[in-house]
Amino acid sequence: MILTLLSHQWKSFWRGRGVSKSIAMQLFLSFIILYLLASCLVLGLALGHLLGQLFPGQDTVKVYCGLILYYFALDLVMRFLFQELPVLSTQPYLTQNIRRSQLVAYLNARSLFHFLNILPLFIFIPFIFTNIAPAFGAAAAAAIAATILSMTVFNHFLMLYIIRRSVLNTWWLAGFLFTIAALAALDYFHILSLSSVSTFFFVKILFHPWLALLLMVLALSAFLNNRRFLLNNLYIEELSKRSGEKRSTEYTWLQQWGTIGELIGLDIKLIARNKRPRYVAIMSVIFTLYGFIFFRHENLAPFNFYILLFPAIFMTGLFIINYGQFAFAWQSSGFDGLLTGNLPVSEYIRGKFLLFNVSSTLAFILTSFYGFMDWRLLPVLAAAWLYNLGLNSAFTLWFATVNYKGIDLTKSATFNYQGIGATQWIWALVALVGPYLIIVPFVLFGAPWVGIAALGILGLISFLFRNWWITFLTKEFYKRKHLILQGFRER
Amino acid sequence: MITINNLVKAYNGNIVVNIPSLAFEAGELVGVVGNNGAGKTTLFRLLLDLVRVDKGQIFSNQMDVAATEKWKTYTAAYLDEGFLIQYLTPEEYFYFVGKLNGISKVDVDEFLIGFGAFFDGSVLKSGKFIRDLSKGNQFKVGIAACLLQKPEVLILDEPFANLDPSSQMRLVKMLKDLAVQKKVTVLVSSHDLNHVTDVCHRILLMERGRIIKDIDTTADTLQELEEYFQV
Repeated sequence: MILTLLSHQWKSFWRGRGVSKSIAMQLFLSFIILYLLASCLVLGLALGHLLGQLFPGQDTVKVYCGLILYYFALDLVMRFLFQELPVLSTQPYLTQNIRRSQLVAYLNARSLFHFLNILPLFIFIPFIFTNIAPAFGAAAAAAIAATILSMTVFNHFLMLYIIRRSVLNTWWLAGFLFTIAALAALDYFHILSLSSVSTFFFVKILFHPWLALLLMVLALSAFLNNRRFLLNNLYIEELSKRSGEKRSTEYTWLQQWGTIGELIGLDIKLIARNKRPRYVAIMSVIFTLYGFIFFRHENLAPFNFYILLFPAIFMTGLFIINYGQFAFAWQSSGFDGLLTGNLPVSEYIRGKFLLFNVSSTLAFILTSFYGFMDWRLLPVLAAAWLYNLGLNSAFTLWFATVNYKGIDLTKSATFNYQGIGATQWIWALVALVGPYLIIVPFVLFGAPWVGIAALGILGLISFLFRNWWITFLTKEFYKRKHLILQGFRER
Repeated sequence: MITINNLVKAYNGNIVVNIPSLAFEAGELVGVVGNNGAGKTTLFRLLLDLVRVDKGQIFSNQMDVAATEKWKTYTAAYLDEGFLIQYLTPEEYFYFVGKLNGISKVDVDEFLIGFGAFFDGSVLKSGKFIRDLSKGNQFKVGIAACLLQKPEVLILDEPFANLDPSSQMRLVKMLKDLAVQKKVTVLVSSHDLNHVTDVCHRILLMERGRIIKDIDTTADTLQELEEYFQV
């Protein structure tokens, strides 16, 4: 029975709406998953080397032991962010002829298939084979392996238990967060060093392998505790995710702009209240840190325009590229209503245009701080900003009018490739690389700054002509309106 | 008010709507009945320019609905959940619709007070987004949003289907009031023959895309319809 349920889960992953039906995308998805796993494996195998280089002179095994508790504390935090309750999948089974204990066993087994459970295996276990076994013998190696596994299992079920409890009573969550914060503070102020505690424990285990049994008991108790709780509380409403009371929000500062303000408020709420757009928006903010990778001395000193322009465009335009391609698709579930209502399409498009402009400007303000690294970055960033403001916004909106694939907002964001096909990737590439068509000739002719200025001016002119763009885009939208509606209805 | 000329719509070679000529006057309350797949919802979508016509034209107040957007200012419709914005609370949605139609928040609030009985306490101040409301409550939000706009043309697809009996009665009363007082053209489709014959002055019976009966409601209409649908 449990195997049947697991096979259902496997099917639901590959057949889900977030997964493209094309073989190419499935291969791509598998490739990404395998690549991530392989990277972790490589990291695990190279751990001995890495530790030797990072902490020269110290016994790598000792350092390894010190890291373990740190990792698992971090692991708890990551679980808090990423761990999902595998609940929705049980609803169809609750009324079938399946015993509760079987469902609970399935839930527990299913929940273990999470990348956070596989990650420590790949990172920590190889080291055991490469460094610990030869030095301390098979028993110690087995003990450490068992400990790592037990801690993973323990963390996993502990977190599930806390999340499930906090659905009913948020004090659990508060308590958990407080404990983590306290531990972090204690460690930061060197009152209680996690690494020394960790080293102490695990070195002890190395010499007394039987101590590992204690941790296995701990893991087992966490598992049993979770199981007991589930058996008693297998009711749909009690198991589903925390959903607090929602309040209506009004953005009064937007009121002054009438319909456009209303539309922007709608977009803001869309981003704030739905997982995938929120994910896109947060990524766009996080990627403003991308500059640190590119704006380094070896690129800044000779001021290599090719390498420096890309991050500028990327950072100021990422939101437009990621969000803008689906500008209409995000609202695909309510699109019929929007088009039937008293909303002129030109206003709707103008609202989107404004949204892109605002995001690009915000990104520019954030990234302008890179100017402190090298003031010459500012004009480059400004040119990229103007390009995104005028040209990229318009082009991407045009591309959105040929996008007939709707997006289901209720699905989560991780591994959700719904609506993303080859054309989306190609377009992103075009938007990012397009400016180079302007820059390259100028650089080759030895007047790169003129090229930068040209890019900025072109963007500015395009921005000043945005009314023309909006009329053009409205016409394009009308040409394909019924196709878009049809595509969105299919979902 | 609304005129249909030689309307044809086909999907994959199957004709789903085929209406040579049809007209609705202002203030008519029209019911559309037919079995599943008769083409009722497609007809409504065509009227709202949500689906492209293959042949023919639809005129609202002498304007081709496919050629201009002006008819949207006096038309309101609710066909399914795709007409709502799922991630807003009901209040936010009402204010949004109000804003688009130049109705101030105060006026929206006043309007909603009149709907207190219809909502029965589970729509307003519910602390939920529209996507978390039950189907019936979502329908209530949709219908209320339509009526908020004080339209001249109102199109509802199977409004009685998801409502509880008291709400159905209230809706019947609201629709009757509309047609009498405000000269609103109302198009309603339904599987509920009782309500349709009770509410509507005129009933269209569709079968496989064609209108096979166009009758003014009398006392015998219910029986006539039941005979048609009898198995």
